[in-house]
Amino acid sequence: MPHQCVRCNTFYEDGAKEILYGCSCGGKLFFFIKKEKLDQLKKLSEESALTKKEKEQIESDIFDLVGSDIDRDQPVILDIEAIRVMRPGKYEVDLVHLFKNEPLIFKLEDGKYMIDLVQSFDRFRKK
Amino acid sequence: MINALKNLINKLLKNLFSKKKDVKLGLYGPPNGGKTTLANRICKDWLGEDMGEVSNIAHETREIQIKEQISIKSKGREIDFNLVDTPGIATKIDYEEFVKAGMKEKEAKQRAKEATKGIIDAIKWLDEMDAVIIVLDATKDPYTQVNITIVGNLQARNIPVLIVANKADLKKADIKKVQAAYPQYNVIGISAKYGNNVDKFYEALFDIAG
Repeated sequence: MPHQCVRCNTFYEDGAKEILYGCSCGGKLFFFIKKEKLDQLKKLSEESALTKKEKEQIESDIFDLVGSDIDRDQPVILDIEAIRVMRPGKYEVDLVHLFKNEPLIFKLEDGKYMIDLVQSFDRFRKK
Repeated sequence: MINALKNLINKLLKNLFSKKKDVKLGLYGPPNGGKTTLANRICKDWLGEDMGEVSNIAHETREIQIKEQISIKSKGREIDFNLVDTPGIATKIDYEEFVKAGMKEKEAKQRAKEATKGIIDAIKWLDEMDAVIIVLDATKDPYTQVNITIVGNLQARNIPVLIVANKADLKKADIKKVQAAYPQYNVIGISAKYGNNVDKFYEALFDIAG
C-alpha cells in the first residue's frame, strides 16, 4: 500500500525507507492510502487548494489533537477516519466511529489520515 | 448460624443508612445546550460556588471539568457525587462561526481545535460515568444526529440517563417535543439559568444516581 507525506505530498511505495526514517522534506507524518484510491488521490493532490502553510498548520494541529505523548520525531502512519480536517480550523467529526471506541483516526483530506497510536495502545494494554 | 444472621442484619443496616459514594455524574449534550449553566446551578445550590464560565458562543467548555463531593438532598434522601461537565458534542466545528460571533481568526481556529479535542475527550470519558444527564436546548429540534447518537450509545452501555430539556423559560421552548422524541426516558423541563423546576430535576436525579 502506498503512503503519502503529509507535508510535501510525495508518494512512497510500501516499505520505502522514507516511511521508516522520515521524508526528505523532514516530514514524519504519512497518509496511508488504499491502492484503488491512489490515482484519484494523485489527481486531487495536484489540484489541492491547500497551501503549504495550511498543510503545515494542519499537521501541527493534528499533533496537538492527538496529544503530547506522541514523539514528533517518529514517523506516524494513519488509517480509517473519525475526524476530518477540511482546512485549519474546520473539522468534521464522525461520532459513530468515536463512540465505537475504535482507534482514534483523523482524516485530513480524501485518503489522508492520522491515527492516535497512544490511545490505541492504551486500549490494547487495558485488554 | 447466629454469625450468618448477624452478618445479614449488619448488611441490611449498612445498606439502609449508607449513602452511595463517588458516583460519577456526567453532563453531556450538544454545544450551547446549557451544560455548564446547569453545572453552575447544581454547584451554587449545594456548594455555594460556580463551576465554570458560560458564553453565548458555542464550545465555551473545551476541557472536562470535575467538581468532587457534591452532596444533594431531596425528600430525606441524600447522594454524594462527582459532577463531570463535558465539552459539547458536535459533528462539525468551523472556526468561521466563531469569527462571525466576533472572534479574531487565530483565536477562532484555536477554539475550533480545542473544541474538537474536547469532543474526543468527552467521548473517552463516557465509560467512566455511572449516570449521565443529557442537556438539550428545548428551543431546538431534538431529533439531531448528535442527540440520537449520544442517547443510543448511552443506552447500549446501560448507563442510566436523565434528559433535561433546558431553556424552558424561553418562549420557543417545546418540552413536549423533547419528551416525544425520547419517550423511553424521563425528560424534565427546566431553566438552569433561572432555576425553574430544578426541584423536580433533583428528585429525578435520585432515580438515576441514587
